[in-house]
Amino acid sequence: MVNHTEELLPPTPGQRVSKFLSRKDVRQTFILGAFFTIVFVVLGIWVYPHWMPNVLSKEMQADEDIMIWFTVISAPIAGVILAIAMESFLNMHRGDTPPEDGIAMRTHTPVVIIWSSVSVLFIILALVWGMVSMNTDAVKAATDAPNALVVDVTGSQWAWSFNYPAQNITTHTLNLPVDRPVTFNIISADVNHSFWPVQLGVKVDANRLTTTVIHTTPDKIGVLDVKCAELCGLYHAYMETSGQVESTTDFNNWVSSIQAQGGTQ
Amino acid sequence: MASSTPSKTKTAVGAVIALVLGIAVVAGVGFTLHKVSADPQPKEYATVHGTIVGPDGKTYPHAFIADGVYPDPIGSKAHGNCATCDGGHPSWPSYGPYTHFVLPAHTYVTMTLTVYDSGGSLNNPYFGRVVGTIGGTALYDGVAQSSIDPNNVEHTFTLHGLPTTTQDPLYVSVPLPLNTDKEMAAYNNDPTKLPVGHKVTFSFITAGAGNYVWNCEYPCGDTTYQGFGAVMGQLGYMSGKVTVVNG
Amino acid sequence: MTTLSHAPVSTRPIPNPKRSLITRLNMGTGIIVGAIFCWGTYYAMRAGRDMTDSHNVNKVLLASMLMWSFGFLVGIGALIGPFRWLIGKDLTAEEQLYLAGDGQGVKRYFKYCTDHKVVGIQYLVGVMTMLGVGGTMAMMIRTNLATPGSHLVTPNVYNSLVGLHGITMIIAMIIVATGPFGNYIMPIMIGARDMAFPRLNALSWWVLFTAIPVLCSAWFLGGIPTGWTAYAPLSDQAGPGMNAFLATIIIFAVSTAVAGMNITTTVIAMRAKGMKWNRVPIFVVGATISVALAIPAFPTFMLAMIQTGMDRTIATGFYDANVGGSGWLYANLFWIMGHPEVYVILIPGVAALMEIAPVFVRKPLFSYNAAIAGFAGIAGLSVLVWAHHMYMSGWMPSLNGPFMITTEFISVPTGLLFLVLVGTLWRGRPWMKLPMLSVYAFLWNFLIGGITGVYLSDVPADNYLHGSMFVTAHFHYTLMGAAFTGAMAGLVYWFPKMTGRMLNERAGYIAFWLIQIGFNVLFLGMFMAGAQGQPRRVADYAFVYEHSNMISTAGAYSVGIGMITLLWAVVHSWRNGKIAPMNPWGAKTLEWTVPYPVPLENFDVEPIITSDPYGYGKAAN
Repeated sequence: MVNHTEELLPPTPGQRVSKFLSRKDVRQTFILGAFFTIVFVVLGIWVYPHWMPNVLSKEMQADEDIMIWFTVISAPIAGVILAIAMESFLNMHRGDTPPEDGIAMRTHTPVVIIWSSVSVLFIILALVWGMVSMNTDAVKAATDAPNALVVDVTGSQWAWSFNYPAQNITTHTLNLPVDRPVTFNIISADVNHSFWPVQLGVKVDANRLTTTVIHTTPDKIGVLDVKCAELCGLYHAYMETSGQVESTTDFNNWVSSIQAQGGTQ
Repeated sequence: MASSTPSKTKTAVGAVIALVLGIAVVAGVGFTLHKVSADPQPKEYATVHGTIVGPDGKTYPHAFIADGVYPDPIGSKAHGNCATCDGGHPSWPSYGPYTHFVLPAHTYVTMTLTVYDSGGSLNNPYFGRVVGTIGGTALYDGVAQSSIDPNNVEHTFTLHGLPTTTQDPLYVSVPLPLNTDKEMAAYNNDPTKLPVGHKVTFSFITAGAGNYVWNCEYPCGDTTYQGFGAVMGQLGYMSGKVTVVNG
Repeated sequence: MTTLSHAPVSTRPIPNPKRSLITRLNMGTGIIVGAIFCWGTYYAMRAGRDMTDSHNVNKVLLASMLMWSFGFLVGIGALIGPFRWLIGKDLTAEEQLYLAGDGQGVKRYFKYCTDHKVVGIQYLVGVMTMLGVGGTMAMMIRTNLATPGSHLVTPNVYNSLVGLHGITMIIAMIIVATGPFGNYIMPIMIGARDMAFPRLNALSWWVLFTAIPVLCSAWFLGGIPTGWTAYAPLSDQAGPGMNAFLATIIIFAVSTAVAGMNITTTVIAMRAKGMKWNRVPIFVVGATISVALAIPAFPTFMLAMIQTGMDRTIATGFYDANVGGSGWLYANLFWIMGHPEVYVILIPGVAALMEIAPVFVRKPLFSYNAAIAGFAGIAGLSVLVWAHHMYMSGWMPSLNGPFMITTEFISVPTGLLFLVLVGTLWRGRPWMKLPMLSVYAFLWNFLIGGITGVYLSDVPADNYLHGSMFVTAHFHYTLMGAAFTGAMAGLVYWFPKMTGRMLNERAGYIAFWLIQIGFNVLFLGMFMAGAQGQPRRVADYAFVYEHSNMISTAGAYSVGIGMITLLWAVVHSWRNGKIAPMNPWGAKTLEWTVPYPVPLENFDVEPIITSDPYGYGKAAN
């Protein structure tokens, strides 16, 4: 008798959810979703540190962290989309005539609201992360500026040259002392170039007659690749040079050896 | 139009033929591009004569190589020096007769460039300095100098490459002095009369085998933005290759 | 329906307005007059000019190219109507009927034909040709990059390949859906008898047609060193080939303006009775939003190019810092066009998939309103995000924050597009035909393109990624993986209506898998190269990128073979395919209610619309 009465009442939200969760396709979708989420998380955590070059500065570490964590955060969203797609794919109908019609579900307001809210939250998270990271870089640049080593960078078609005004040397390779902030003043002798010391994770265009400025602090010793990241004509691909983040002693020795040669390397 | 569909075999054969044809067309385009863009640069091989002791005290084979820099291909052609100059760009200066230099590895290379062109100011004065040569100098008509006035440069020979783990770095940049208006006067009236020219000689030591490029840093593309259009943007006049080979 | 004859049958007498010039003009006369104008201009302007000065060369070439385009339009008869208006007359009714091409068979495809279905086919063939040319260049690029050392071509040729592949594909992708389907199918979908301005419709195609030889001429003028973005001042410095690029963009901008206005007006003014805004098929909405977005975008590009042209011909200094100009001016103008432009490309492709998904899942489109909100939101935000391409340019670093906000918020309407598609799939039993497979490919590709887009929009990550191969891989995932996949689904889906035949299924499946798997291998390899630090647009690279580039090239060859297979399937099926029934997919939109060949004015009786076209399905239990 009791059961009988219950059947006549409309289902409570709790009952609806438990009925929803007991459906086979829903369970399968959840399993697939968990699977795709894990795949994306693992990929995000493994792939970028594995692919990206040595991290020689905090800025580079921040760049890499963003790529890893944005992948991890977006993994559940990717998981949901791929799971629903895969579930429907596995349920396919083949043949030359269309299958029977499915359910006439035209929309589902709570789902649309939840979906939009989750994507807004995701974006706010990404934005706050990005803004904080940007701000950290800017604050650091401002506080470090007085002690920074200054390097004037000139991009010419198709070679870089570096002038260290305090050391009074001009070079074609970029050597930097470890743990000392550095300020790059970048200019172009001709068309646009983009100064990219790869392992330092910073970059800015070189423009004719306008100086652009970037800051970073190399915090590990290692080899640097300096590239041009803006198509600049014939030998754009060869507009690269190498460099070194080295101990202060090694850097001072390098500077004095160049000064001994007349200030040019 | 036939309304009957062709047999399955016929369709399959047609598809395969189409596929082969398609690949052939793309490959043909690739082959043609390769042909027309194939290295237009005549190669010069350095010749080794004896050995020499380098600044590090080690003994190296001593290789020699020479080339010229001409006010335009017509001028160099008139002197029989430019193998590929077609005269299609009568106002373009050019290195000649060679723009692709092949050097032996681990060798003391002495390069001599004879320059016949006029010049002016560099976009980047850095390239007025001699970099990467033995002693940091070059011989300008016999006089050793570590730089020249960046406002009186004819062209530069700037050799560089991609920094990679599989080839050693090699960077040489030597500015070349200009011929003055007075020295160029005869040529300006009659393009077969080249000036006497200036000889620039410099040496460097090659490391292991590798592929490098060189280009001129003097903006000689007249009437183009910062002088780096026209001749500067076209391979084989003011730019070329340097290949370092083993043995 | 199976007894339909394949040749177009006219029930009307063939109009033959004798003595009218119109009957004698066609593509051939257009080319002749165009060539005369071009060479005439060339020789007239060359005379007495010092052609060693690059400014003079640019003047002569640019003028000759634009005169070719104008001459062609004169020669094909595009200006007869406007000329008549000048003298207070118009074309006679008979001439207008003649221009509609009724009963003229294959010939009408080579004429200034005002029938929207003819224009649609012209666009289709034009798009396929451009994709073929652009794809061949892509094969060359990947072959050159297969191994380090740039063995196939010189850096000059490589830079030209990169730039011309880029611009050819961008132009092809802008028109890939709105050209063929927007012209052929869309007017039928809304129950119209033709476009609002049939003559402008023909004009948009033939103007675009004149851009093709101009663009090709870049190859014979030394190529372009700038990439498709044509950044100044490199473009100021570039050789004569750059003029071809400028002229192409100027001509193309005219074509898109004309087409955009025409499509927008048609959809606003010519929908069938009862087709309220909430009953318009979603493809029509998408195509309209796309072209409406293009209307303000492309004139900016044209303006940017006109200024480049002035710098190059009369030595103004808009982009020359030496005389007070700035390359940042160009970058701003370019990206004010450039970012809306990627959505101009994307939206119609997604809209086509949204049109397709309900038909094959046999369910209504999930949340039609969310789809509209998604498109509108993207279109609205897309005009406010351009400077994210300039985070690293040094122009206004203080604006990086605001542009990061607008850019990342575009993920919200983009998320709605995903919701609409997965909502439509939810609990469905999809009929796994070729167009439906593309929906899945789209979801995967656009997901990856979307997530990587979030990294790129984030300023600190862009510090590392800007200008690298990572960017190249990202935008290929969105433009090719998403938009192109959508357009190809549209081709297979509407092929029966446009050609009267079914696309060969087996070849279609083979092509689909070769393209999609190859595509993913190709661009996952490129993500790897980018993350490793390989800059984009380099002819040569260091050995560390050897493996990632080899992977990319292997994938590219698979895509190439797949594309050839698809091309064969299209050509073969067009000639010999199974005759299509009137409504092979059981769809509910209006284009499936008309027979093939579609009659000149589409409908014998004007349809009256009482519901939206997604009335599939039974009530949920």
